[in-house]
Amino acid sequence: MRKNFCFLWIMAVLAGFFWGCGNNKDLGSAPRQEGEETELSQAMEETAGKDSVIVAMGVNSEPEAGFDPAYGWGAGEHVHEPLIQSTLTVTTADLKIGYDLATDMQVSEDGLTWTVTIRDDVKFTDQQPLTAEDVAFTYNTVKETSSVNDFTMLQQAEAVDERTVVFHLVRPYSIWPYTMAIVGIVPAHAYGPDYGQHPIGSGRYMLKQWDKGQQVILEANPDYYGEAPGMKQVTILFMEEDAAFTAAMAGQVDLAYTAASYADQTVEGYELLSFETVDNRGFNLPATDPETKDGVTIGNAFTSDVRVRRAINIGLDREEMIANVLNGHGTPAYSVCDKMPWYNPAAKVEYDPEGARQLLDEAGWVEGPEGMREKDGVKAGFTLLYAASDSVRQALAAETANQLKELGIDVAIEGVGWDTAYTRALGEPLMWGWGAHTPMELYNIYHTLEDGSAGYSPYANEKVDAYMDQALAAVDLQESYELWQKAQWDGTGGITQEGDIPWIWLVNIDHLYWSRSGLQVAEQKLHPHGHGWSIVNNVDQWSWK
Amino acid sequence: MRERKAWLNGRQRTLVLFLSALIFLGAITLWGQLFAEQAQVTDFSRKDLAPCARYPFGTDWMGRDMFLRTLTGLSMSIRIGLLAAGVSALAAAVLGTAAALGRTMDSAVTWLIDLVMGIPHILLLILISYACGKGFRGVVAGVALTHWTSLARVMRGEVLQLREAPYIKAAKKLGVGEFTLVCRHMLPHLFPQFLVGLILMFPHAILHEASITFLGFGLPPEQPAIGVILSESMKYLVMGKWWLAVFPGLLLVATVMLFDVAGESLRKLLDPGSAHM
Repeated sequence: MRKNFCFLWIMAVLAGFFWGCGNNKDLGSAPRQEGEETELSQAMEETAGKDSVIVAMGVNSEPEAGFDPAYGWGAGEHVHEPLIQSTLTVTTADLKIGYDLATDMQVSEDGLTWTVTIRDDVKFTDQQPLTAEDVAFTYNTVKETSSVNDFTMLQQAEAVDERTVVFHLVRPYSIWPYTMAIVGIVPAHAYGPDYGQHPIGSGRYMLKQWDKGQQVILEANPDYYGEAPGMKQVTILFMEEDAAFTAAMAGQVDLAYTAASYADQTVEGYELLSFETVDNRGFNLPATDPETKDGVTIGNAFTSDVRVRRAINIGLDREEMIANVLNGHGTPAYSVCDKMPWYNPAAKVEYDPEGARQLLDEAGWVEGPEGMREKDGVKAGFTLLYAASDSVRQALAAETANQLKELGIDVAIEGVGWDTAYTRALGEPLMWGWGAHTPMELYNIYHTLEDGSAGYSPYANEKVDAYMDQALAAVDLQESYELWQKAQWDGTGGITQEGDIPWIWLVNIDHLYWSRSGLQVAEQKLHPHGHGWSIVNNVDQWSWK
Repeated sequence: MRERKAWLNGRQRTLVLFLSALIFLGAITLWGQLFAEQAQVTDFSRKDLAPCARYPFGTDWMGRDMFLRTLTGLSMSIRIGLLAAGVSALAAAVLGTAAALGRTMDSAVTWLIDLVMGIPHILLLILISYACGKGFRGVVAGVALTHWTSLARVMRGEVLQLREAPYIKAAKKLGVGEFTLVCRHMLPHLFPQFLVGLILMFPHAILHEASITFLGFGLPPEQPAIGVILSESMKYLVMGKWWLAVFPGLLLVATVMLFDVAGESLRKLLDPGSAHM
């Protein structure tokens, strides 16, 4: 019995071995049967004039609480256009503000009152007209219930007539239009606890079917007030990375998300699409000396020296990092908001290992016998944390450790769960992912909270705070962009290399997709953090040729 | 009579088998320990290499030497197994023997065994590991606290049987105290059972360590643990990087089987029923 078992086992392993070998050599170009070949080419021919598309997304993209803006649909951690609902404004291709439902918006001199007028030709898919009442209802609802977004700046939304809604704010908030770009308007007459499961909106698409854990089918809204969607039916499948790849190999999907680690593969009948993003990765460097509060270590003795932080910033070769970890599919990142209208190009630095060594010498961290630096018997170094579930962050952390080792800084990496990561990041650098279509991100990362220190990593600079407060108080959006830029670098201080540099930004990760030949994916605006629904922001403009 | 002329007799052969299994496992443990540093080194200039002379098990997507990584992982598994099996066996011995001390004690121990056995094994493992903060400590605690039950049950059975044995009864009648009775007359008889049980617990402990890290409730992914290696490799199978799964998997199975061989041979050597083959 035992012998039999062994034999079977060895056979199974050998079988796996040979299967593996074969697969390795000609993946994707495996010899196909005659019949299959014609089937495939038929499928290709049929694509012309087709008006439906099947998209594979990650399993985390499935909205857990349904399609309700109050519970994160569109306006969640990963922002995107809500498709099923309309929004007041939209972000344009260059991430400025355009109109969707709104026809005009005015802000009062003190920045506390926003008056928005809306179109009068919009109907929900249940044929009821969309009025200012619905808009006010939506905003008052999300203010009450939103579990994912901050609406504390809103005091109340009020419909003054059929077409005009007034937002009363608690404090000036110049980037309110960016908030209006992600909140889908829900119907006051048909909103309830199960709205997320059966959403009614006025957007380009209607929810036709939702098989939880598998797929969402969207159907074009025939009464849409704008240009009629080109894609009449959009099917979204939720799959793991490897399943999405196999689905593309099997020809079951038209567009499948993928990661850089798959980028050197080829799939017959598909091309690799790559979109630039502000989906950045970077790590925080606690900028204060360590102290213990409630058993939590806040601050870090090594990274509290600004010269050390500057040395790390210019001592990292971002291009090499992109080549090594992302197989070339990324762009160097110098801030949390690269290429956004509020980005200050002064954040850019050149790779300068010699300069980095000099800075470390100046800071008193001198090279010891084995090339590793020390000061007063203490070794230069830290533990770099990363989310254990994210292999790209792991690789970036490993690459950072390798590069810093060349400078004589000893970096250990450690995978952690999100349950402990936030707390530990107060005392140790953590590999983060950020990037959103709103300058609020800068505020969240660099502005101090009530306790006098920034929320995610200890840091405080009154001037930076002041610029951001002014930016929020500005009446004119253009003027606020300039203030956001000054918060980053105003010529004498800020958060860039010559300033305090409390965060190091490494790369913007390109979002990659396998796209069936013939599918014309419309031009994308820079994707934000989250490799999910952003791709279908403009699915109505896609086409087949 | 030709068999008599064989190179070694059955007992010697078994002994050789036992020793070589032990030496092999010891070598893996030591070797892996020695290369623990190198096993963590990432070098992107050598990523995704298929097995070759320099890297017999190939390299992964971060350019880590999979051969060293597997060895270190197995070494860690064996050490965790050693610790866990030791703790478990000790607990089993103490509880099993305690059961002999009286009826109340016996029902208490039986109740405890039933309680632990009643909860699905892997679930209990995950719960304990999670409660202990995952990581190395969590895995060791999880594996150690869940594996003692079956051995404890066997020990208890043995003890109950022994209590009815004439020589024990005789000792009792002669006025030997309960504690001396257990230590002097029962334990020596239980020892072979205990030793074999201990060694046979290893495969379980190692496989459970591997599965708990595979599921992500154990060690963080930069650590070379066999479960981590295997769960990472799953992602790359579809890309045809078979070597990431096959070799570590093979070596894991080989290790587990060697422990089985060692345990079985030891049982043959110690068990009176088979000692004279």
